Amino acid sequence: MEKLKLEIITPNGVIYNDYAVSVVLPGEEGEFGVLAHHASLTTLLEAGVIDIEKEDKSVESILINWGVVQVDEKKVIVLVEGAVAIRGENDGAIATALEDAKKLIRDIADSNPAIAAVSARIESAAQRLL
Amino acid sequence: MANLKDIQRQIKSVSNTQKTTRAMKLVSTAKLRRAEELAKRSRLYAAKMNQVIAEIAGRIKCNKVGGLDNRFFQKIENPKMVDIVFVTADKGLCGGFNIQTIKAIKKLIAEYEKQNVKVRLRGVGKKGIEFFKYNEVELFDSALGLSSKPEKKRSDEFIMSSVEDYSDGKIDALHIVYNGYKNIITQELHVNKILPVDSDQFDCNEVQNSMLEIEADDEEHVLTSLVNKYVEYNMYYSLIDSVAAEHSARMQAMDSATNNAKEMVKTLKVKYNKARQAAITTELIEIISGVESMK
Repeated sequence: MEKLKLEIITPNGVIYNDYAVSVVLPGEEGEFGVLAHHASLTTLLEAGVIDIEKEDKSVESILINWGVVQVDEKKVIVLVEGAVAIRGENDGAIATALEDAKKLIRDIADSNPAIAAVSARIESAAQRLL
Repeated sequence: MANLKDIQRQIKSVSNTQKTTRAMKLVSTAKLRRAEELAKRSRLYAAKMNQVIAEIAGRIKCNKVGGLDNRFFQKIENPKMVDIVFVTADKGLCGGFNIQTIKAIKKLIAEYEKQNVKVRLRGVGKKGIEFFKYNEVELFDSALGLSSKPEKKRSDEFIMSSVEDYSDGKIDALHIVYNGYKNIITQELHVNKILPVDSDQFDCNEVQNSMLEIEADDEEHVLTSLVNKYVEYNMYYSLIDSVAAEHSARMQAMDSATNNAKEMVKTLKVKYNKARQAAITTELIEIISGVESMK
């Protein structure tokens, strides 16, 4: 399968810069998936989870609070304000990441009704790793 | 001899100053490392953000997407009022760091005044604010403590009032002036025109091939919230870049002050020894002439 180049950039640096098979992004209008050769678009992202399917079929989840994505045929650049990658070498690290992710969600304005769903999503992403 | 004592006192005072400047240099070096790290990590995000905005501005100009009626991207003819936000340090003793920024602001103000445009100054950092107050230039708004400790929330609040005034039509342009970090020995002055988003350099011919879609029904919302983030982040990045530059400037200033003090101690010591020798010679002559007269 063809790959696309994915860059996720936060104010604290690059947290993901690698090839991926597909990526699912939490757009403001709803979730959308991007594969290689996707038509160009620029759109906003809301609080949610970015699911990245890597070349080895493993899926990585990254929680974000706000972002903007620029998609073109070859690459996807995601600018996010705050992000927590749910990954870790061992159970302890995953648990810490999960805690960080929950904290980030709490910091987002609580008026957002999607928060509960996002919270459930990260829990399941962590479960998958454990 | 009084002269000898005077010199000794001077040597002592200069070496005390040297101790202080050396300590300040060390403190700045440590702080610089942290500030530099922060600025470095954010640089990519700031650059990409500006790139995204510039591209959108270009596409709007070339009629690729709508948004022509969006004030953030319009070219405003005959501006009446502009906001200049400046960032200086809260503390001095950092060489020409603050004065360079102030000079750039004065130049910008003069340029606007020539075109009969009113300027509103909004200052961050004690040194710049004090300067303009002393020179009786009116400051519209000011924030203390923000430039030595940049806080995202405070910086957002500070800049957002300008953005609101801009979208209400009260002001027609927004500039951010600050002295940024280039490398450990150089600072780079930035005079950035933040609003309206500049699309002059965009070449319409290049856009033709790629397309960009923004959902038409919420284009207004997408552009506005994107611009807000862009301005917010530009302000915040100016602050952290300025902190890094301030520490590098101070480190340099303190380094040359230490060296200068060292030189001074050296010349004073030579002077002291000369005076001491002169005193000894005089004393000897007195003794010898005393002995001679007794013969």
